[in-house]
Amino acid sequence: MVLPLYPRQPDTQRLAASICASVAAGAGIALGLLGLTAPEPVAFSISSTAPLLVFAIRIDPLSAFFVLTISLVGLAAAIYAVGYVRHFQGGTSIAALGSLANGFLLSMTLVVLADNGLFFLMVWELMSLASYFLVVTEHEKTDVRYAGFFYLAMTHIGTAFIALAYLILFQSAGSFSFEAFRHPERAVPEEIRTLIFLAALIGFGTKAGIVPLHVWLPYAHPAAPSHISALMSGVMIKTAIYALIRIYFDFLGGQFPWWWGFLVLLAGALSAILGVMYALMEHDLKRLLAFHSVENIGIILLSIGAGMIFQTYGLKEFAALGLLAGLYHTINHAMFKTLLFLGAGSLLYAAHTRNMEEYGGLLRRMPWTGLFFLIGAVSISALPPTNGFVSEWLIFQTLFLSVQLPDLLLKLMLPIAAAILALTGVLALACFAKAFGISFLALPRSAHARHAEEVPAAMKIGMGIPALLCIGLGLAPMAAIPLLDRITEPLTGVSIAGKVLALDGWALAPVNMEFSSLSPSMLAAMLILTGLLGLALAFLFGGRLAKRYYKTWGCGMNLSPRMEYTATGFVQPIKRVFSTIYQPTVKLETEFLQESRYFAKQRKFELHIEPVFEKHLYDPAVRVFLKIADRLRLLQAGSLHLYLAYIFVTLAVLLLFAV
Amino acid sequence: MPLSSHIGSQLVDLCSALLLLTCFAIVAQRRLSACVDLFALQSAFLALTAALVAFLTGHHHIYIAAALTGAIKVIAIPRVLKKVIERLNVKRELVMNVNVPAGLLICGALVMLAFFITQPIIPLGFLLTRDSLAIALAIVLIGFFTMIARQKAVTQLVGFLVMENGLFLGATAATYGMPLIVELGVFFDVLIAALIAGIYTNRLQDAFDSVDTTHLTVLKE
Repeated sequence: MVLPLYPRQPDTQRLAASICASVAAGAGIALGLLGLTAPEPVAFSISSTAPLLVFAIRIDPLSAFFVLTISLVGLAAAIYAVGYVRHFQGGTSIAALGSLANGFLLSMTLVVLADNGLFFLMVWELMSLASYFLVVTEHEKTDVRYAGFFYLAMTHIGTAFIALAYLILFQSAGSFSFEAFRHPERAVPEEIRTLIFLAALIGFGTKAGIVPLHVWLPYAHPAAPSHISALMSGVMIKTAIYALIRIYFDFLGGQFPWWWGFLVLLAGALSAILGVMYALMEHDLKRLLAFHSVENIGIILLSIGAGMIFQTYGLKEFAALGLLAGLYHTINHAMFKTLLFLGAGSLLYAAHTRNMEEYGGLLRRMPWTGLFFLIGAVSISALPPTNGFVSEWLIFQTLFLSVQLPDLLLKLMLPIAAAILALTGVLALACFAKAFGISFLALPRSAHARHAEEVPAAMKIGMGIPALLCIGLGLAPMAAIPLLDRITEPLTGVSIAGKVLALDGWALAPVNMEFSSLSPSMLAAMLILTGLLGLALAFLFGGRLAKRYYKTWGCGMNLSPRMEYTATGFVQPIKRVFSTIYQPTVKLETEFLQESRYFAKQRKFELHIEPVFEKHLYDPAVRVFLKIADRLRLLQAGSLHLYLAYIFVTLAVLLLFAV
Repeated sequence: MPLSSHIGSQLVDLCSALLLLTCFAIVAQRRLSACVDLFALQSAFLALTAALVAFLTGHHHIYIAAALTGAIKVIAIPRVLKKVIERLNVKRELVMNVNVPAGLLICGALVMLAFFITQPIIPLGFLLTRDSLAIALAIVLIGFFTMIARQKAVTQLVGFLVMENGLFLGATAATYGMPLIVELGVFFDVLIAALIAGIYTNRLQDAFDSVDTTHLTVLKE
């Protein structure tokens, strides 16, 4: 799927990389669709000389679904890159960027296809390394190097836990093949299963970015080139979701104590709410989007956690619904997050900055980018008629179904999770009202924004694909849900497509029609009709239209960008309300005129949000680690003889022990 | 048959003992070129041992290994080392981490350690070379010790090669030699290691005007 790039010309290299990736992504989409509809999983393998390692690949519906998602995003990113990568030309090696990006795509695809634990770990590591090198594309910048290092450290901590989970599985299964994981030779004791559960949650949680393991995400995702950010945020973190579902529902057979699901639910709720709250305070557009990834991973886990709880109590249909909603949100998030990151990339391409305070008035200059970004924003805010709305609605319904649970505590907790989800939705809406409003509306706030121009056609097409899918997945859940049902059916044992799709697919219902139901397509039609109705009423009863072009009235003053709401100002009320969480520190310096203290010459305002997790969780850990390392430094004297002596003494002692 | 096997075993033991003896000579020797000569002598004994084992057991591939030992360790590597010594004009090891008498005592202790460790294993063996295992281990340990005790890169390299000789003897003693392909690979590795170490020594001389590896401590940050 990936060809190394030989052409010398940067232009040709850029094209070649994108063409290879597009062809591969096209093949991936076909493969994904085939895999989703195929009656039986397809498997094939190449044995290797290394013990235990088999290059095995298996396509079951779950893998196929993720291949499809990866390929769709990959296609959009590859087309987008044709235009976008141009602005790296000169400093960076285009060939390296292109082949790394393609290698990254390939490794992600292999991660979701792997059918052998060791092979999985191998491609997982390959994926992490490829993405690390992509993050440090602009390695001449200090903060990019820092982001890269942070990412590398975190991802290796994660991989350590993942390796632990797989090794424990190997211990009980006696083989690294996934088939053996599914049906271990002897029954796995409960404590060991718990250990696998926790190790997988921490390991994959690091990659997925659940709070408090998310800290690398807002550094690494913005540092990468935008189409890579789209890949990382859109699909790479989803490979962790894939692996969690694979381990919990497939390997561990969906048999678990209730607190497993509850823990996942809790992690999801925490990630969702904190992700969106930090996003709200962020004025670097790409960092803002990265925090939203934390939020959406949280939402997905919320749904999967609820599914796990239902599974524990044998409510199989509800479990399937939770899983289905989570997967639906997975592909939806992949689409709109890709769209938004590509949109942010376009803004960066046109205005040369990621700081929202320097945008403004871009809608007039970049109408297409604006339209696509708006679709993405509507979608991530879960408003109809887009896909985000459908999946979040399903997740809400799943959570409300908890009234049927026998356990009182859970009966109470799940609606609270629903309330948190609602708050998350509202804050996301506020956040994107800010992001879109500040960036695209009003007057330009800087020279950069004044001179911005619309992006090249390739970038528009790259954004257009996910935009269309956002609307398509929102209007036509009847096409998506039967496919998703094929994934959840083998995992939970029941098929619910017929029950979720009521009225011949025109309406959605959470398994039970009486409980509640909704028709997204009808809703969209209603929206359009209401709009038309309003126009018609205005046309019929409104006065004569008189057009007059004039500046916006500004109380007699000339309007300037300085009068606009700033991004910081816009979210000030929310910051006040949640000040216990943000712990903001405000620094206001005023320089007065010498003549009078009533007139200020210059005011400087600084606002910092306390990075709670970094300060109270990571910094102490790093300090302890450094202290130990400092102590250990004594060992490293630099003398060859001493090192040899270490080895020698160890050898002699071990030999003596062996006797 | 039992008689000839007994004599064979005795002969192999004798050769192994000679190998060990050359080890002690290397530890006691200060002159570099003499060290290299001793190493060549040791390798010659090793080739002899291997040939003897091949003759006694009828495993013909050991002859090839013996011939290679002769070609590489008795002729090629000593020649490379002599050239390095000549070019660098270092004749003697002046400063040692451990002086000669103490070094010899430690080596004696190492031989005892080797015999002590292998004691429970040897009676289990049924090959006629089984007694050589303890000696092989002793040679490995002494080679290692030489690397620690000496400061000149050339003698360290000799120490490394002595270790390799010990391993070879060990392999022959324990299993009548490794498969030929592994053997060939090991020879190639040793040759390359000697060449690299030769270059490394030259670079060391260029950088510090000395082949004393203690200078490497300045590379620490």
